[in-house]
Amino acid sequence: MKFWYSFIKEMKLSSKSYYFYIELGMAIVLLFILLFVVPDNYDIKGKEYIYLDLPQVVRDRLRKDLLKEDLDGVSQHLKVEANKTAFPAELYETEESKIYLLDSKEALDAFSSTERVPAVHVRVNEDNQIVQTYYLQGYETQKLKNLLLVFQNKKAGLDVIEKYSDNIIVRSIYREGEPLSDKENIIPVILTFNGSLMSLFIIAAYIFLDKDEGIIKAYAVTASSVWHYLLSKIGVITITSIVTTLIMTVPIMGMQPNYPAMLIFIVTSGFFAASLGLFLSSYYKDITQAFGALYIVIVIMMMPNISYFTPSWDPDWVKIIPSYVMLQSFKEIISVDGNMSYVMLSSLGFAVLGINMFILANYRFKKTLSL
Amino acid sequence: MIKVKNLFHSYNNDEKYAVNDISFQVDKGEIFGFLGPSGAGKSTTQNILVGLLQLQKGEVEVAGYDVKDIKNNMFNKIGMSFEQSNIYSKMSGLENLKFYGKLFDVKTRDPMDLIRMVGLEGKEKIKAGEYSKGMKHRLTFARSMINNPEMWFLDEPTTGLDPAIASNIKDIIKAENEKGVTVFLTTHNMYIADELCDRVAFIVDGKIRLIDSPKQLKLKYGEKLVEVEYYREGELLKERYSTVVEEEKNKLVEIIQTNDIQTMHTKEATLEEIFIKVTGRGLV
Repeated sequence: MKFWYSFIKEMKLSSKSYYFYIELGMAIVLLFILLFVVPDNYDIKGKEYIYLDLPQVVRDRLRKDLLKEDLDGVSQHLKVEANKTAFPAELYETEESKIYLLDSKEALDAFSSTERVPAVHVRVNEDNQIVQTYYLQGYETQKLKNLLLVFQNKKAGLDVIEKYSDNIIVRSIYREGEPLSDKENIIPVILTFNGSLMSLFIIAAYIFLDKDEGIIKAYAVTASSVWHYLLSKIGVITITSIVTTLIMTVPIMGMQPNYPAMLIFIVTSGFFAASLGLFLSSYYKDITQAFGALYIVIVIMMMPNISYFTPSWDPDWVKIIPSYVMLQSFKEIISVDGNMSYVMLSSLGFAVLGINMFILANYRFKKTLSL
Repeated sequence: MIKVKNLFHSYNNDEKYAVNDISFQVDKGEIFGFLGPSGAGKSTTQNILVGLLQLQKGEVEVAGYDVKDIKNNMFNKIGMSFEQSNIYSKMSGLENLKFYGKLFDVKTRDPMDLIRMVGLEGKEKIKAGEYSKGMKHRLTFARSMINNPEMWFLDEPTTGLDPAIASNIKDIIKAENEKGVTVFLTTHNMYIADELCDRVAFIVDGKIRLIDSPKQLKLKYGEKLVEVEYYREGELLKERYSTVVEEEKNKLVEIIQTNDIQTMHTKEATLEEIFIKVTGRGLV
């Protein structure tokens, strides 16, 4: 019952504190950004600006070839802007790129010199050979330059590359459902940081507020245990995390996520993060002193984001950082037919780690009550 | 109620002791004053007694409980009023008391009674954060009584209070003591110690220099003299007479019987004077 009273008291106090409303406010702001600013999928197709400075017959033949690759088999006539001037262009959209055929050298120069995009001038030389002149911008990699040389000059290896490419088969190993859209792919990052990891910092803030008011000392001379006090704080933060997570997830993902698994994971990962926050805050008198340690934790926890958005960079040491597991688990939770075994296993891991961390934090708090 | 034997405490776990081999005992129903200047070891000792600091070396028993292995039950018998007010500033005074009342396993007092007792009636629904320093102090003091403690620790209970309220607080302490509550009073205010305490301990540099009742100390260290001011033949005279030497005693009686006495004071020492005499240091 004492724990219950402490929990209710903490709920009341939280509802009167700024942190609570900042968390809710941030969740709503993030929701609006996801809903109205972030597109469902990013336009990652490369844009190519080409001026075909060729005889009409050749031009028509090249257009015909392009139309074969166009997604809907129809080119689109439009105006494109460079250096504040609109130029007429013809757009061919293939699976990999958007090709804009410009109708003048002037337009090509405008794009290559002011818009910082690669442009290609295709012409016929004195020997009646078709020559491509690439206007690169300086940021292209050597690999791309080599590829262009190989492709355009057909000096070596093109047939090998084509043969190799044709033999590559992409097969989904365990997932039958649709992959996440680009927007949905951001949600695990937000849930990890605003849901689970934020518990670490919010609980530290609450503890330092109480230390400042001397509340922990007053609590320590009652017949209630210090762990009641600590756990009631974690309880409040967990409730807040669940609310903010649902605010951000339900309007975007609807019923797609596995919500029971999500609740379990928020509770266990939040418990771990909050216990870690308690443990850290037991070493310091105020948040100013604790800032160094908190900053180091923030930087370490951010590392897995690089791996998340750059899957080719995935060293083993990143995988043991808790935020890595959180990111992957949230991704599985919101995916259709996500790997729930992974989620349950990581929930168990966070629960065990959290209990150990909580016991340590409780021991530390009992030892430093007079601080 | 309190037994302390060979207590040591070092904040850095070295030989530099904040509390250095102190022993004392507080009997049930007694008001025991712990007097000393800042940094003498008063708060360290008190924090060990209530479990806010871990016992490192020595034996300490409070209200029948061994402090080495503190059980939550012990706090059902203990009340603690801190020098620095530590209350939930976002809760009202009444909410603070109601909440703390729920953290004990024993019958607790009516929060409104306590509010009235410390003169906060009418202010009980205001957020404690909006209280003045003195009001917060009174609320902290009231909270320490919520569980009807048998053993009451008071750390500078009248600090920062105006004389009328300080007097009220002293009356409450006396009244609770008359009901049988044992009081451990930590202070550097010798007047409150003199007025309230059955016995006092002088602590300096982590060591107890002396334990005795204020009365005995005054008798032992005070001068046995009476200073008298009186008119004789229109002239105001001021003289001192021993209360021990027979001849001077008789002379004093004669003066009282035959002259117009204006003032008469015994020249007993104050606790502060005794403290300085015994420890060689002031109480600041």
